[in-house]
Amino acid sequence: MISAFNGLRDINTATILFRMVLAIICGGLIGIERSIKNRPAGFRTHVLIIIGATTASLIGHYIYLIMNLPTDMSRLPAQVITGLGFIGAGTIIVTGSRTVKGLTTAAGLWATGIVGLAIGSGFYEGAIVSTFMILFAEIVLGKIKIKRVKPFRCIINYQHKETLDHILRYCKDRNIAIKALQIEGETDESGVKVYSAFVTLQPNNEVDHDGFVRKLESFDNVINAVIR
Amino acid sequence: MGSAFAFLHEFNIVSILVRLLLAMACGGVIGYGRSRKKQNAGLRTYMLTAIGACMSVLLTLYEYEMMTGQWAPIVAEVGMKFDASRYSAQVISGIGFLAAGTILSSGHQQVTGLTTAAGLFTSVCMGMAAGAGMYDCVIFVLIILFIVLDVMYPMESAFKRKLRNMTIYVEFSSIEYLDEITDTIRAEKATVYDIDVERTKREGSKYPAAVIVLQMGRENASHSGMLSTIAELPYVHTIHELIA
Repeated sequence: MISAFNGLRDINTATILFRMVLAIICGGLIGIERSIKNRPAGFRTHVLIIIGATTASLIGHYIYLIMNLPTDMSRLPAQVITGLGFIGAGTIIVTGSRTVKGLTTAAGLWATGIVGLAIGSGFYEGAIVSTFMILFAEIVLGKIKIKRVKPFRCIINYQHKETLDHILRYCKDRNIAIKALQIEGETDESGVKVYSAFVTLQPNNEVDHDGFVRKLESFDNVINAVIR
Repeated sequence: MGSAFAFLHEFNIVSILVRLLLAMACGGVIGYGRSRKKQNAGLRTYMLTAIGACMSVLLTLYEYEMMTGQWAPIVAEVGMKFDASRYSAQVISGIGFLAAGTILSSGHQQVTGLTTAAGLFTSVCMGMAAGAGMYDCVIFVLIILFIVLDVMYPMESAFKRKLRNMTIYVEFSSIEYLDEITDTIRAEKATVYDIDVERTKREGSKYPAAVIVLQMGRENASHSGMLSTIAELPYVHTIHELIA
């Protein structure tokens, strides 16, 4: 623990002001980064959240340390953590393509709230260290693109249902996982049933798409294959 | 636990740093694996929540430290009223709400994102263990989480394609053909458990649809074989398997 902060750990007008200012700085830094990236919760949201959390923490301490009422001084501020879970959940958007957006913002907002609680309690060391960690996670790690092998969608038109079994067995041998399989069937003018299989494939390693298509088309009864 | 690490079990500026870094690193390890799989919650989400959870425990420790130190006279006067698990207890419910945001429910009776939510929840608990200085517990949870999320996941999805039970989604020309479809399934020696006809048609689809839960006649029957057999019926337009 840093003893320089010891004079700032009691509650009086000066320390309340100090904590508020520190809260605005910490919350503001995290918020500005989000604002620059144009995310739903920006500077103002973060500052408001952190000031609220700091105040809740101050009230808890005030009731116990100044008013000397018998209470657990962390009961009141602790509810902030649950409350922010709700607010955070509200920033999460479900997009059309079955993914969610705003999860990092929600997690950051939640963590910022806890920093606010620490500041309000006078736990400056932890608050400052974790502010820098949050900033590190959001700024530095946000730039890192994690390499992933992308799944791809392939449409295969074929005749005879056994053909699909050959194709699927081939995928299995190539270590390509089938994530989704959808079959559509149409009967053409000459009365022959033609199937279209929409398969979503997740390869383990990078796959040469053109080569894959050529290989599929070389199977018997495969009319053509297209990669989307 | 070794005496060399004794100071890490006390509450001082070094242990605060070590614990926060540990929480961040462990959250990062799990998050990295999730990011690679293109799951919704990735590296930063796991890191940020682990930092927050770690801080909640450190905050409790700080308050206790102050109550036995600088604020001791007040404590002596008013009486010790303190619950060391108050903050962390709220973390558990708070993260529950946050994780609920990752759960998506899609059209035909499927829910995704449950594993992400559950993983986030456990990862946060790992962050709290780091904050408390339970380093051994952190390592164990990290290993278990890694095994469950990264090693068991591919096993599970491979296993699901070999299950006797399968759920299929079919679109067909007209509702009268539903009987013929179930007859075809029965002819393959499979048992039909449940049929759900979807009244609200999927967007862009002009045909009636049904979700059928069935059990294969024998173990290890090919799921794609069953799909192909049904797809061969002239009035079936679209068919695919639903995998949870």
